[in-house]
Amino acid sequence: MNMLLQDTNGYKVISDWLSAEGRRPFAFQEETWTHIIKERSGLVNAPTGCGKTFSVFLGALIDFIDRHPEDYKTKGGNGLQLLWVSPLRALAKDIGRAMEEVIGQLGMRWQIGIRNGDTDMSERQKQKRRMPEVLIITPESLHLLLAQKAYPEVFRSLRIIAVDEWHELLGSKRGVQVELAISRIIGLKEGKCSIIGISATIGNLDQAREVLLAPLRSINAEFFTVRANIHKPIDVESILPEEIEKYPWAGHLGLKLIHRVTPILEHSRTTLIFINTRGMAERWYQSLLDVNPDLAGAIALHHGSVDMALRNWVEEALHEGKLKAVVSTASLDLGVDFRPVETVVQVGSPKGVARFLQRAGRSGHQPGEVSKIFFLPTHSLELMEAAALKSAMDMGLIESREPMLLCFDVLIQYLGTLAISEGFYPAQLFTELRSTYCYADMTEDEWNEILHFITAGGAALHQYDEFKKVEVMPDGLFKINSRRIAMRHRLHIGTIVSDAMLKVRFVTGGYIGVIEEYFISRLSPGDVFTLAGRNLEFVMIKDMTALVRKSSAKKAIVPSWNGGRMPLSANLGMMLRKKLDEAAEMLHGGIPRDIELQVLHPLFELQSALSYMPRENELLIEQIETKDGYHLFAYPFEGRLVHEAMAALLAYRISRHTPISFSFAMNDYGFELLSDQPIPVDDSNVYELFSPDDLTADIQRSVNSAEMARRKFRDIAVIGGLIFQGYPGEHKKTRHLQSSASLLFNVFSEYDPDNLLIRQAYNEVMDQQMEEVRLRNMLERIQKGQIVLRWPQKLTPFCFPLKVDSMREDLSSEKLEDRVRKMQAQLR
Amino acid sequence: MILYICSPHMQAPFSYRIREQQLWLSPERCIFWEEEKALILSDLHFGKTGHFRKSGIAVPPSVYKEDLHRLLAQIQYFQPRQLLIVGDLFHSRENNELDLFRRWRDDLSGVDVRLIKGNHDILEEDWYKDAGIEVHKEHLEQGAFGFIHDITEYTHCSSYCFSGHIHPGIWISGMGRQSLRFPCFYFGETYAVLPAFSRFTGTAAIDPPPGSNVFVILPPEPEEKTHIPRGRGRTASIAPPSAASRRRAGTILQIQ
Repeated sequence: MNMLLQDTNGYKVISDWLSAEGRRPFAFQEETWTHIIKERSGLVNAPTGCGKTFSVFLGALIDFIDRHPEDYKTKGGNGLQLLWVSPLRALAKDIGRAMEEVIGQLGMRWQIGIRNGDTDMSERQKQKRRMPEVLIITPESLHLLLAQKAYPEVFRSLRIIAVDEWHELLGSKRGVQVELAISRIIGLKEGKCSIIGISATIGNLDQAREVLLAPLRSINAEFFTVRANIHKPIDVESILPEEIEKYPWAGHLGLKLIHRVTPILEHSRTTLIFINTRGMAERWYQSLLDVNPDLAGAIALHHGSVDMALRNWVEEALHEGKLKAVVSTASLDLGVDFRPVETVVQVGSPKGVARFLQRAGRSGHQPGEVSKIFFLPTHSLELMEAAALKSAMDMGLIESREPMLLCFDVLIQYLGTLAISEGFYPAQLFTELRSTYCYADMTEDEWNEILHFITAGGAALHQYDEFKKVEVMPDGLFKINSRRIAMRHRLHIGTIVSDAMLKVRFVTGGYIGVIEEYFISRLSPGDVFTLAGRNLEFVMIKDMTALVRKSSAKKAIVPSWNGGRMPLSANLGMMLRKKLDEAAEMLHGGIPRDIELQVLHPLFELQSALSYMPRENELLIEQIETKDGYHLFAYPFEGRLVHEAMAALLAYRISRHTPISFSFAMNDYGFELLSDQPIPVDDSNVYELFSPDDLTADIQRSVNSAEMARRKFRDIAVIGGLIFQGYPGEHKKTRHLQSSASLLFNVFSEYDPDNLLIRQAYNEVMDQQMEEVRLRNMLERIQKGQIVLRWPQKLTPFCFPLKVDSMREDLSSEKLEDRVRKMQAQLR
Repeated sequence: MILYICSPHMQAPFSYRIREQQLWLSPERCIFWEEEKALILSDLHFGKTGHFRKSGIAVPPSVYKEDLHRLLAQIQYFQPRQLLIVGDLFHSRENNELDLFRRWRDDLSGVDVRLIKGNHDILEEDWYKDAGIEVHKEHLEQGAFGFIHDITEYTHCSSYCFSGHIHPGIWISGMGRQSLRFPCFYFGETYAVLPAFSRFTGTAAIDPPPGSNVFVILPPEPEEKTHIPRGRGRTASIAPPSAASRRRAGTILQIQ
């Protein structure tokens, strides 16, 4: 069918409606509509807040009107037409509202439904009786839909699967959930359904499309990519400290600059302040109130541990322009636009170009407006990052999201899901699974092992064994028949994102939020900590809930959440090394264009005087003796995870020749080895120590991979259904089935070390924790360049943040501040 | 501080005298009391793996069988006349694994089994009787010692008391700012706490007061890890340490 979009009935209806509204479709929207009416699949590359929702939704309407030109207005009860997968629950409401408005104005009878963890039972039942034409759903709820009997009915009429914010889902296990659900729907419909991904710009857009559309590969070779090409100017301004501290240390400068934030708040209608960790967000919120008491009630705190209802309230208030400022972590990265937001402040390193762009884009939504973002460094050296970010943005250097491969935990959960609804036949499902990107390389052996795991509990047949989960029916159908197991599985779907989280409640009742078990397990009763801007005294843990009471104590522990410790991205690291090169050039008389580098001149001068300013192709290693012992500092600028692995690797390689023990410290710029004896590293052996040869084997010998795998296993055990969290209100009866992931890890490592979930934990360590690929690239880069060794007489500006970080472990923040002051004084 | 101490004789029990009685602490998480020829044990949680598996949680069933084997090996080594179990011999209600226990018990009819009931011991009275287990509801006084499951529920101990229930463990810090928790024996002034015998149990960290003695059970140092480059996924993988290297008994280390 070679029909022009403009000639279709649907287009006329939609464009008439738009012009009545005084609007015109963007070119990229029309382009997408053309693909939609031709039933093609592909990817729409568009940032938030520029009409990406309508590029797909209006396309679906055009398609419908074309198919029902006479009665499109009166035709209701059409069954599901458009499945809208979105990573965030918070997005659903707003998107649904926008869609309903259009439907209302067109006088159509489509219904828009929302389905996620917040959807109540009666609404679900209603949807079951009559599916709305559009269903906005999270990946978890989509799997819950697949867990319903007769789910294939739901998708019978489906025309389009849209996956919103695909860049956010890609690279996570929720993305894998989406891949699986799509493969099932495409399998059901034998390919007669379009898939459209909507993604912001990432480095591997083509791959992102390939991952999402993988199940269609064999059916439909021609996929489209539509680029919005909407250029929104971004203005980055660094907040320059009045005085450059030549001995910078992390975390401390930020709060000192808080008075510089006040005028920013005054000049902007609403400001979002992004902070990397929940702990620092809590402190910033408090400090902002201390500095500006009149802001009470006009500023709010928003992060993943704050109670959902409170977060919803904050988002609502943001929309309505009631708030002057919101202090937030990555929890506000995503989602619909808050129009009143005029300014964004980024405190500390955003760790990556993509995230910085995303955050900047949260401001200035009116057409023609500029996105304004302030960069507030938490230590002076971090100013370099602002310069690096600006250059990276100019060059369009945006990070990739690596898709996850062979996630057996997610697969095991998915198989349980299918087994409680319609059941599955392994041979048929195997083909379907291999059509996905994630499981394309799954071997038959692995598949059999998984089937054995869910039917026989991974053990040899034994007369005393009563394992029961998935049963094989006489006709070969794999099915879960036990109602208890089925019910538990339903409760289990959707646990993918969570760390081991505990609810926090007042002893007297009243929910405050959630907090990592890891943090609570280190508290004693009576300890005071802050959450959601309140000081709380820890009383006890009961039934997966931390009970607390209000505290008037002045001092409180700020929780150190595990999240937010994202490493610096490879792109940003590379730009930093370039900026350092420009800084070195500056010392030879060059003039850098970045104000940030100019301001840092005295720091670089001191670094050069005491040690050396490395050029782009050089790795600087400093060895310094202090009363603490012998230090070795190296600065590869590759992010903390790579540095952690590199420190362990280097320690191992040194100790192979000389018996010596070390302690480590690292940050995003470099790492430190500390020993009580001189560290034998010099020009004679340094290239060998940084060699990529035997890397894999050496990593395995050097790091405590078992401990890292244990941490990874926590998520895996929860997703794979090994951790039993109990039914709501049924804690007592099921207590005998509770165990910790750590215990399970011990038991499996000892008694079933080849178990595929244990293997997955070790694989995740290599891929994600060690970032082995990046480590290897780094070593190869170093081999091609120069290693510069220096033996400074005292601590240098580069090593100072690392030295402070390594003291942080054993000191409270107050004592730490005293110690650091003393150190700074001695160095002057 | 590195506390991995491994000697060739690591499986040997550790001699400890208290109240003029000779005790032998075994790294297999039990105590042999020489004067009474009694093996003192706690928190065996027999049947736990079976309950998990019945509910579709695929923990390896060999944990349980190995626990039974270890107990048998300890009985063969110390040749006790009696087992004194300070609670949680069984994890929950009856299941097939307890039938296996019954057969195992029948083969050892020469050994008396005395159970001081723990919170998990919820089987019918007749069951214990049929299995040849002498049950004590709250506590037992025998020779120089008393026996009780949960020491916090029994404050008027007249003699030195042996207890279990909490699965005591101690944090040991090692390389690279990591710390690990290991099971331990705790000997305070008036009572002792045994580690859980079952390998399918976690530990709860204890903070021993000065004057108490704590014996930590360290696992054997893992052998050099073997690796199998699988060439799957993006990178090769690390193979977990082999089962054989992990399953040797550990070492006892005293912290004072």
